[in-house]
Amino acid sequence: MSNTENKKESGLKKITGAIGGDKLILIGAIIAVFVLFTALNKNFLTLQNMINLLVAASLVGLVAVGHTYLIIAGQNDLSPGSLAAFSGVLAAVLLGKGLPLILAVVITLFGGVVVGLFNAWMVNKIKLEAFIATLVTQNVVRGFAYIMCGGKPVAIANKGFLEIGKARFLDIPLAVWLMLIAFVIFGFILAKTKFGRSVYAIGGSKEAARLAGLNPEKIIATCFIIIGILTALGGMVFASRMNSGQPAANVNLEFDAITAVILGGVSFAGGVGSMGGTILGVILIQAFNTGLIMVNVSTFWQYVARGALLLFALTSDYIRKERREKELLEASMRNIK
Amino acid sequence: MASVLEFKNISKYFPGVKALDDICFKAYGGEVLAFLGENGAGKSTLLKVLNGDYQPTKGEYLLDGTEKHFKSPHEAIQEGISVIYQERQVLLELSVAENIYLGRMPANKFGVIDKAKANQMAKAIIEDFGLPILPATKVKDLSIAYQQMVEIMKAYSRENLKVICFDEPTASLSDAEIDCLFEVIAKLKKLGKIIIYVSHRMKEIQQIADKVAIFKDGRYVDTVVTSQVPEEQLIKMMVGRDLGDIFNSLDRNKNIGDVLLEVKNISSDYVKEVSFTLHKGEVLGFSGLVGAGRTEVMRAIIGADKMRTGEVYLEGKKIVNHSPKEAVDNGIVLVPEDRKMQGILSNLSVSGNINVALMDRNSNHLGVIDRKAEIEAARKGIEDFKIKTPSPDKKIVELSGGNQQKCIVARWLATNPKVLILDEPTKGIDVGAKSEFYNMICEFAKLGLGVILVSSELPEVIGLSDRIIVMRSLRISGEVIREEATEDKLLSLGMMGDDMS
Repeated sequence: MSNTENKKESGLKKITGAIGGDKLILIGAIIAVFVLFTALNKNFLTLQNMINLLVAASLVGLVAVGHTYLIIAGQNDLSPGSLAAFSGVLAAVLLGKGLPLILAVVITLFGGVVVGLFNAWMVNKIKLEAFIATLVTQNVVRGFAYIMCGGKPVAIANKGFLEIGKARFLDIPLAVWLMLIAFVIFGFILAKTKFGRSVYAIGGSKEAARLAGLNPEKIIATCFIIIGILTALGGMVFASRMNSGQPAANVNLEFDAITAVILGGVSFAGGVGSMGGTILGVILIQAFNTGLIMVNVSTFWQYVARGALLLFALTSDYIRKERREKELLEASMRNIK
Repeated sequence: MASVLEFKNISKYFPGVKALDDICFKAYGGEVLAFLGENGAGKSTLLKVLNGDYQPTKGEYLLDGTEKHFKSPHEAIQEGISVIYQERQVLLELSVAENIYLGRMPANKFGVIDKAKANQMAKAIIEDFGLPILPATKVKDLSIAYQQMVEIMKAYSRENLKVICFDEPTASLSDAEIDCLFEVIAKLKKLGKIIIYVSHRMKEIQQIADKVAIFKDGRYVDTVVTSQVPEEQLIKMMVGRDLGDIFNSLDRNKNIGDVLLEVKNISSDYVKEVSFTLHKGEVLGFSGLVGAGRTEVMRAIIGADKMRTGEVYLEGKKIVNHSPKEAVDNGIVLVPEDRKMQGILSNLSVSGNINVALMDRNSNHLGVIDRKAEIEAARKGIEDFKIKTPSPDKKIVELSGGNQQKCIVARWLATNPKVLILDEPTKGIDVGAKSEFYNMICEFAKLGLGVILVSSELPEVIGLSDRIIVMRSLRISGEVIREEATEDKLLSLGMMGDDMS
């Protein structure tokens, strides 16, 4: 290829190359969803609604950060919905007992760590599939959320705690900031550090990673702890916004988070994906969910629509995987004479 | 008219491997055609393409002039192509007759299976074969040889059987059983079937095969009439060049030093009471049959499997490896046998794979990786080991098998190990890369490393090792020094013993 040709292409290629073809499709999908819902309801594309959308996305976003790690590591977690509700109730109960704000928050976050460790224990030591293991946790933790409060929502009076849901910085709610900070920090860790590299490594083959000197059990446990802490944090922010800890809240939270992560290009097979994709996936799914509500789709049909979106995400994951394998074969055919 | 099977330009690629390269030849009914080639030459892959287990990347095959394209072994069987594998495919809990007529048992009009009729039909076939077994016997109560016969009878019982392939059928048979198998093959031959016979054993090929098709590195070399070509020539055609020359021209390390590694009486769930020593600069071969426990000894040493008893001393100091990581820190590294599942980190780049054991060194106290240091280390590895890759950022899975293997070796050599364990390092890589590996192994020995070479390829283990330990049934069964090592000696040490009469 001559130099002039190179230069001509470089402009567009730089952009598409940097973002990646899959992400461009995702951005296209987000634009399509925005255009569609704005056409159906002109209030969709307003600043206020966008901020509401981001606030609503914040809990899913925090959990999706955790799922990004877990799914790249070849694991999964179905317990965040229960854990988020449990955390909201726990914080509310602790504050109701007169514990100081900081202590209540720290104890609740620690609750997230314990749940993460329990999940990791089942996966690492009883060798359960993460899908089934975390189904156990999903039920047990939801049960404890109800037991702790006798089944009734617990009102929160602590001013400081309620401030978490209301506070704004630069006109943007704290909940949104927390999500953005999580994206940045955990995105950096995933892309640039030893730990992040190890997560990708075990997602390919645990045994290969172990023989290469890594400790898959420790890495998996850390991933479960990360999602536990982020979920507990998200659950508290949610409770603060609702002014109460609600044991029945956040059902299907993990469903949205997993859909977002897969939409964002993380492969269900493990080992592939990035935080950037997850950010786009979270925006897409929240726009989709908010839009459905704003154009008055009934709750029942929303379930169907979400299921359809997950199916779409999984199908595109499958297509991406097939394509990767095809490209790999073609690369091999070129490299090997 | 006798059947004709024709392969036309068949190629099969896997990521990193060109398993079959433009295969063209014909096989005829009423003849036994042997496939001859080294491990990885493509014989088994071709059988899998033929019976629909694999889909060819390019090319086609024709049976009696009709193009066939089987999507599964099931389809192939229905069209008259059966493959008898090394591993038995029979269902142990079912009877002989039920196995023969699996999926097509005679039944009455209500769909109720007619066992008596099946037994009767099976009896006729058993008599055809002249075997002393009963149709109603459960297959698990038969010897391995008869279990294999049941499989052959299953193929034979199909009226439209045209092609029957045997993949290393004699691997676990005694001489008398082999004779019995050959009688059956002769019978099938008389019936005009196309018979394909894959084996390593030259003696058998000369006894049973009318013609030999020779394969090398995924390519078809030629078909010759067995009786017209002497054995040495066949081997030469199969290997392509004289491996003996390669081994003779190796610049081996002559200065073997002090004891480096001493393994005393180690047992794990998979091996029993193994003891041996390894010296500095020595290449120690581990021979024996697959499943004899060679890999498992190495896994116990590096802490991949739990060690139940025994001790390991490195340079006179007792060490305990609870995990492969601790073994690496102690200076013992392993290049595993299963490159795809245990060796490479398939989602990482060439650089990521080479650097995985250096991550601690190449990152700051926060764990942030120094990319420049990594690229530098990767470039050094690529250069030192002549890894063919367009860039260090290429995904490792895009490389050929031999180059992937070099990445793993580069990974470990970068950690300055004392003991390098290579488990079947040349499995599935081409002859050119093999001789590179052989030279590398000699270099490592000269650097003062202790090298353990686990290999099923006898010429390789004899050609490279200073000393060879042979394993059988999870224990060490003997030790042979280089000067006294012959293939026969290693084979008899590896095979003789308790489970054969």
